[in-house]
Amino acid sequence: MDYKDLSETIIKRSLKKGADAAEVYIQTLRQLEIQVRKGEIEIIQESVSNGLGVRVISKGKLAFASTNDLNDKAIDTTILRAIAFAQSTTPDENNVLPSEKESTIVEGLYDPKIFEIPTQEKISLIIKLEKLAMKNKRITKSDGAWYSEAEEIIYLANSNGLLKQYKSSLCGITIGVVAEKDEEKRSGYESCYRRSFSNLKPLEEIADKAAKKAFNMLNARQVKTQKAAVIFDPDVAYAILNGILTAINGEEVLKGASFLGKKSGEKTGSELLTIIDDGTIPAGLFSSPFDGEGVTTQKRTIIDKGILKGFMYNTIVARRAGVKSTGNAERSNYSALPDIGSHHFYIAAGEPSQDDIIQATKKGLFLKEVTGYGIDAVNGNFSGGAAGFWIEEGKIAFPVKELTIAGTANEMLNDIDMVGNDLELNDQLSAPTFRIKSMQIGGEK
Amino acid sequence: MTYYYISENIPRRVFLKLGITGGAAIALAPSALSQLLYSNASEEAKTNLDIEPQILSRTIKKALEKGGDFAEVYIEHRISRAILLEESKFKSAVFHISQGAGVRVLSGIKTGYAYTEIIDEASLLKAAETASFIAQGAKKIKPVAIKPSKRKSFVKVKVPLETVADAKRMDAMQRAHQAALDYDKKITMVSVTYRDHERKRLIANSEGLFIKDGLPIIYFIVQALAVGEDTQHMGMERVSKRAGFEQLDEVKPEEVARAAAREAVTLLDAKETPAGKMDVVLQNGWGGVLVHEAVGHPLEADNIAKEIGAFTGKMGKKVASDIFTMIDDGTIINARGTTSFDDEGTQMKRNVLIENGVLVKFITDILSARQLTLERTGNGRRQDYRYMPIPRMTNTFIAAGKDKPEDILASTPKGLYVQSLSGGSVNPITGTFNFTCREAYLIEDGKKTYPVKGATLIGSCMEIISNVDAVGNDLDYGPGTCGKSSQYVEVTAGQPTVRIRNINVGGTKG
Repeated sequence: MDYKDLSETIIKRSLKKGADAAEVYIQTLRQLEIQVRKGEIEIIQESVSNGLGVRVISKGKLAFASTNDLNDKAIDTTILRAIAFAQSTTPDENNVLPSEKESTIVEGLYDPKIFEIPTQEKISLIIKLEKLAMKNKRITKSDGAWYSEAEEIIYLANSNGLLKQYKSSLCGITIGVVAEKDEEKRSGYESCYRRSFSNLKPLEEIADKAAKKAFNMLNARQVKTQKAAVIFDPDVAYAILNGILTAINGEEVLKGASFLGKKSGEKTGSELLTIIDDGTIPAGLFSSPFDGEGVTTQKRTIIDKGILKGFMYNTIVARRAGVKSTGNAERSNYSALPDIGSHHFYIAAGEPSQDDIIQATKKGLFLKEVTGYGIDAVNGNFSGGAAGFWIEEGKIAFPVKELTIAGTANEMLNDIDMVGNDLELNDQLSAPTFRIKSMQIGGEK
Repeated sequence: MTYYYISENIPRRVFLKLGITGGAAIALAPSALSQLLYSNASEEAKTNLDIEPQILSRTIKKALEKGGDFAEVYIEHRISRAILLEESKFKSAVFHISQGAGVRVLSGIKTGYAYTEIIDEASLLKAAETASFIAQGAKKIKPVAIKPSKRKSFVKVKVPLETVADAKRMDAMQRAHQAALDYDKKITMVSVTYRDHERKRLIANSEGLFIKDGLPIIYFIVQALAVGEDTQHMGMERVSKRAGFEQLDEVKPEEVARAAAREAVTLLDAKETPAGKMDVVLQNGWGGVLVHEAVGHPLEADNIAKEIGAFTGKMGKKVASDIFTMIDDGTIINARGTTSFDDEGTQMKRNVLIENGVLVKFITDILSARQLTLERTGNGRRQDYRYMPIPRMTNTFIAAGKDKPEDILASTPKGLYVQSLSGGSVNPITGTFNFTCREAYLIEDGKKTYPVKGATLIGSCMEIISNVDAVGNDLDYGPGTCGKSSQYVEVTAGQPTVRIRNINVGGTKG
């Protein structure tokens, strides 16, 4: 199908049917998923899907409709539905579409080689991964090993003459294993996702990490309720970053629902804390040439040595706030309106290694797992379930489980007193190891 | 792949990112929030469920051509709407239509799955062929000829969604918005989200099953922001039933809004929560998310079949205190987790899982029931046609006991009174669960005192069900959404007022 023609036709039709501005977002996605367990294939799942979403603005009123049925009649229904719905919403002069013609150049987002590799090779890869993870005697069971890949093409066009597209690929492997001792079970998972097959980490490294996560936690116990230093492993970066991400969402700020809303230009954290959003990293899993509505992506410093520099916007919210879009319109699929979200959102690396940070800690909790909602973006309160290792005299003493940690964002961000050098940008939210000098830990009486 | 199973009653974006660290799969797969809206079928496409039965038979035959012992075709289409009224503006209105068909082949413990979004014979046969490769070389069976099957219905609709004008939906939203603003001067911003969808489904399989129905649902959520001198709080309340628009006449939108506003204003005075182990009294209703997470997920038979689930090998054994009985019941009329049959066509049932402390039943789908030689409990559910069914809960609750709720509180000298919860998660292998309080009070001398800040509660499933030492007579339920293996389904969680001894609380006060 010629999507350029299709996009132009849809925009023309929308304008003809009464829209003052229109946008079409087309997504085509091909996916493969394989699960093996105990050396045998358990699941193979394959799919191709296409869908499109039409956003219309009529007399300042916004509506959206989408379909995965791409025949003419269904597309017409979609356009008419969007226009009909736009009669009911509230007019707002800020409801506009972007008109930027340029895109950011981001290398390495697509690797066709992934899809040329025979399926059998992908199956053998995860069978080997599972075998390696099971090699350790302390590992008793496998939860499975997974391979997944996806190929996606995005077409985006609007009535301001914007017309863009890009193609991306993704492949990844995951292993899950269980270590047991008497009645106690501990699970460990590790994944690696990349834009290219050839960039996947060595299987030994992934297998070893998953196995260690499981058996290192055997015999975990509790400690007494107390205040102590807390070291965040890179695996739990989300626990601190997720709430900050919501709190710097420009729309939450306008709603008055952000604890950071009135802090722009002010000190919000320790001088060691720098937070960046970057949509331009070559081959980055969360990089793209343009955002969910066609605005160029960029690299932005959100918090610079503790000072809050700004918020994140899409086009409409930026206009409401009287600023320019920051290229943070997030649209994860064709049936979603552009929201506001991050690209690679991370805490910048510091100097010490993880070992240095542990050695510098007389007593504390080395966090490997945090559960719960993280920081409440409305008021900054934080409370979570915690597991990891107890540190005594600069050394890992024993694993700990079912603890709680709590504090406020203000205290936590200002109390960061060490930031490590081990930053890896594998997730949407990433951080190197860092330490908060004191937090309330809940445990035994 | 799932590390944590989660359930919650608030917009789930936040929790997903915290609960499932499944790596970058989320880069290309639909985000959690939009998955709820992903959906739908063109109204014109209604005929797709009227596909000729012979085409279904030929698809099943094709699926079993290479071998295998079970094949199934699932066809779905969906129409859904989402309207947002926020900051006194109808900011957006979203309409979705989608259709799709999934073909599944089982061969022993193996599953092949493929789906198509074009519903014609050629596309169905192609999906069947893709799914069939898994069974290459396996023993062949002859499918039973399909014929219309009957199931008892538990979804009664008075006002079908498609007969309701959008103006009526927006009127309910506006009334809620105004009621929240009018509740108190401290309420500065209100957000009302209205979502509904009608999911029509058809299931046919090699056992001869052939069945169709349509499932409507509404999710109506009010969030209210209260601003105090030095803090602010977002209160929330929601209603949801598997029923038509009549549900918004039965439960007044204004009442939902006032409940959200009351919570927001109340919590402006919240003080620090103590940290560490204490006794917890959980008020009746959505607090049942505790057993949903701590016990329900670990009782799902897929992890039992893998021999990694926390309850592996515990069938028939005493796992909880004598007063603890837990039920999963997909037949509660029009409840959010109710259907007439599950997404594999199995009739919905009332399943007692733990009876007076003894484990008596696991939650199964067709695959896990075959693996473990257990009965099919009617829990094979899927988010939509893009996913294969897996064992899931429906409406899960602790059965009512004998204690009066006021006596439970009065006999607790010191502890935490949890009036409502946000959501929770569990690692089904280790059994470690957590859940987050929305509205909680400190208990002193058997009385509720002042409100405290939302805190995380954490523990292990085996311990917690042994530590339940009081069960009230006031069973009630609340609606929520449950995530497992990237699939989101509608559920209800319920419980009477209960007391649990010695839970670890994530407070800031030492």
